[in-house]
Amino acid sequence: MKVGAFALVVMGSYTYYANSIPQIQSKPPAELSLEGGNVTTAQLVKAGEEIFHTKGTCEICHRIGQKGTRAPDLAGIGSRAAKTKPGMSAKQYIIESLLQPGAYLVEGYPNIMPQVDKPPIALNRSEVWALTAFLESLGGTAEVKLDDIPKTAGASAAGGAPAEIKLPGDPKAGEVVFSTKAACIACHKAGKIGASPVGPDLSQIAKIQTPDYIMKKILDPAGSGTVAGFPKGVMPPMFGQTLTAKEYMDLVSFLLTLK
Amino acid sequence: MVALLTLLSALPALAQEAAKDPAYRAFPLIGSRLAVWAVAQLHLNFAAFILGVPIFAVIIEIIGWRTRDAQYDWLSHELVKLTFAAFSTTALLGALLLFLFIGYYPKFWTYMTSIFFPTYGVYAGLFFAETFTVYIWYYGWDWLSGSRKWIHVSLGVLSNLFGTAILLVANSWVTFMMSPAGIDDSGALKGSVWAAINNFTWMPINIHRLIANIVFGGTICAAYAAFRFLGAKTDEERARYDWMGYIGNFVALSAFIVLPFAGYYLGREIYAFNQTMGITMMGGFMSWLWIIQAILIGVLFMGSNYYLWLGMERIPGSERYRRYVPMLIGILAFGFMVWATPRSMVITLDEARAMGGTHHPLLGFLGVMSAKNTAVNMMILTTFLSFILYRRANKVSTRPWVGMGMAIQWAALGVAAAIVIFFGVYGYFVESLVRIGFSVYQVLAVLGAIFVVMAIDIPMFKGARSTGAIRWGTIAPRSQYVLILLAVTFTWLMGLMGFARSGIRQHWHVYGVMRDNSVDAVTPAIGYAANMITVVTIAFFLLVLFIFWLGGLGEKGKAEAHGHAAPVIAGGSDASAGGPRGGRSPRLP
Repeated sequence: MKVGAFALVVMGSYTYYANSIPQIQSKPPAELSLEGGNVTTAQLVKAGEEIFHTKGTCEICHRIGQKGTRAPDLAGIGSRAAKTKPGMSAKQYIIESLLQPGAYLVEGYPNIMPQVDKPPIALNRSEVWALTAFLESLGGTAEVKLDDIPKTAGASAAGGAPAEIKLPGDPKAGEVVFSTKAACIACHKAGKIGASPVGPDLSQIAKIQTPDYIMKKILDPAGSGTVAGFPKGVMPPMFGQTLTAKEYMDLVSFLLTLK
Repeated sequence: MVALLTLLSALPALAQEAAKDPAYRAFPLIGSRLAVWAVAQLHLNFAAFILGVPIFAVIIEIIGWRTRDAQYDWLSHELVKLTFAAFSTTALLGALLLFLFIGYYPKFWTYMTSIFFPTYGVYAGLFFAETFTVYIWYYGWDWLSGSRKWIHVSLGVLSNLFGTAILLVANSWVTFMMSPAGIDDSGALKGSVWAAINNFTWMPINIHRLIANIVFGGTICAAYAAFRFLGAKTDEERARYDWMGYIGNFVALSAFIVLPFAGYYLGREIYAFNQTMGITMMGGFMSWLWIIQAILIGVLFMGSNYYLWLGMERIPGSERYRRYVPMLIGILAFGFMVWATPRSMVITLDEARAMGGTHHPLLGFLGVMSAKNTAVNMMILTTFLSFILYRRANKVSTRPWVGMGMAIQWAALGVAAAIVIFFGVYGYFVESLVRIGFSVYQVLAVLGAIFVVMAIDIPMFKGARSTGAIRWGTIAPRSQYVLILLAVTFTWLMGLMGFARSGIRQHWHVYGVMRDNSVDAVTPAIGYAANMITVVTIAFFLLVLFIFWLGGLGEKGKAEAHGHAAPVIAGGSDASAGGPRGGRSPRLP
């Protein structure tokens, strides 16, 4: 009896403590559809703010009015965005940042932001539109239209099939290029081939990176950033000169099979 | 067993049928999620016990076989008896879990079957193999003794290999749900099932669970011994269960000190798989969960050390080491506080304003990984030091080089502590990428010190002069409550970590691939989870008590006839006599 009572007291204290601290649930996000409907700018901004705090999970890294260690402060982004990347309006920059976060990195921050229209965040086109409007409203004016958001945005949301990319390359020939002419195998592992730990393991590269990134990384390794934990400046920058166009496409096609 | 096999053989047909079914059905009264949660947690508790205990049972049997010390053979048999009693309950709970998935989450199960069907046959085969091996291991204890003992020991090793293989197969299913791999964008398997098995979190979870199972098995065995100690009628019985409790705690503690490293490896792989998942886990809605985890681990460290210090009280000659205890308490308490300090967490804007940011201006500095790595490494070193003091409590080395040996040991501990603290402080002044690498140096320093100290300690105290035999059975009864505290805390912690592992998928059955569209898709807050964990943990201990009681009924009056009479342990006599009487003192680790 005494042992049982003691065990209950121990478990009771853990349970009491767990119940006395802030209680936060994680609710599944609701789907928002604004396409074809009449929505005012104010409604759009409000919907975007809701997405910012919930389904978008933006708050995990970004703060408004506070500098974060993982991601930039978003206060004033609506006006600041117009000056961030030459030739781009605030709206264009914000949309690009949401759909292709690695395209431009704010200095001092790592390339860790996921594409918001892909799982697991998986915002649909309406939600990207609303979120863009909210971000524009932070120090600027919300003027984004639904047509500004690419039609492909959110195509793969909620586990649906994404727009398929067809490359005119031969993955089998690309595997040969990987092992021989390009000698990627000297530094990278790729599924069953290679074992070198010098560079990152590419066995699932197509799952964790976009085709755009893979193509750019081969041609401009230094300009595409270096994966955390690996030395900078090791990957040769001359593949654009040494590989033929066919070899390049074959290599990319092979890498895109690594999921 | 037959029911399970029949069920497994019918799975393809059931899976096809499930495709026509609704995505979800509602379990009466409590809902499907709670039903699955309760059965899954219970099943995992039992599975951890029956997989963890045989690992050290066979090691203890080998020690008994090689040293010809019957006490170890008795202990090993006793441990396997406990496992054996829990074996069928584990299988029944596993079958029940399968029924729940097929019945209440048919679409999810159809999807999992579409990926993992080839593994089902492997799992069933391994289950068969393990069951038969454990049966022969247990029932063949007397038959395979003497010159045939090596066959018996081999059966023990084999049953562990089968058990571990079962764990690896089951882990592939659960880790795929967290970090799916080997599938295309529509979620279909692309090539070999191996790619789905070998996903990002599979190997880290394998390692983490394997170590945690040993800790869990050790704490449950120690708690069982404590329970028997407190109800013991004779000094001999008390001595026997005191010794068994010590061995259980020793095994648990040995495995426990490497568990945090396995945890860090798992965390790193979660971040490598998906940054959002990692950040949600550590800084998102689950951030408070880690504070509770830190408190539980602090309790485990403090409890394990306290048990060792109390154990020293029954060892003549240990008085000379008492002066170290306050220092050890101080280091453990400070490490505990650092580990329980949060860096950042989800807070309201008002709270952030009041604090001057999401990080506390002073304590926030103790919440980062540099401080936490330093704290846990210092706690491990401290626990190891407690064990070393316990180990030599009644020994006086007669080696002429004892002074030099001691000096090198203290130097090794001091250098390790200095390295741990240096990299802990230096970590604040470098980039995070460099800082991550420092934890490797800290771990290596601690492991290196443990290796050096033990390498000197073993020869230094071989043939040492004894200051008196351990008075087994005379330990303070509160020490037995410490063993029960450790078992309850670790079981509760397992439930909490199960919630964390499952909860970071949030509203996904399979993360990023198959959404949870059921009425239970909300991931509950920590209080709700704690209530559930407590209810299931109580149910687990009640079931364990019942099973052990049943097992005991079958054994009553048979032990001696089977040649498994409980041995007499040295010190199992009148405590007031202050010395050993009867039996040999077991050679302890």
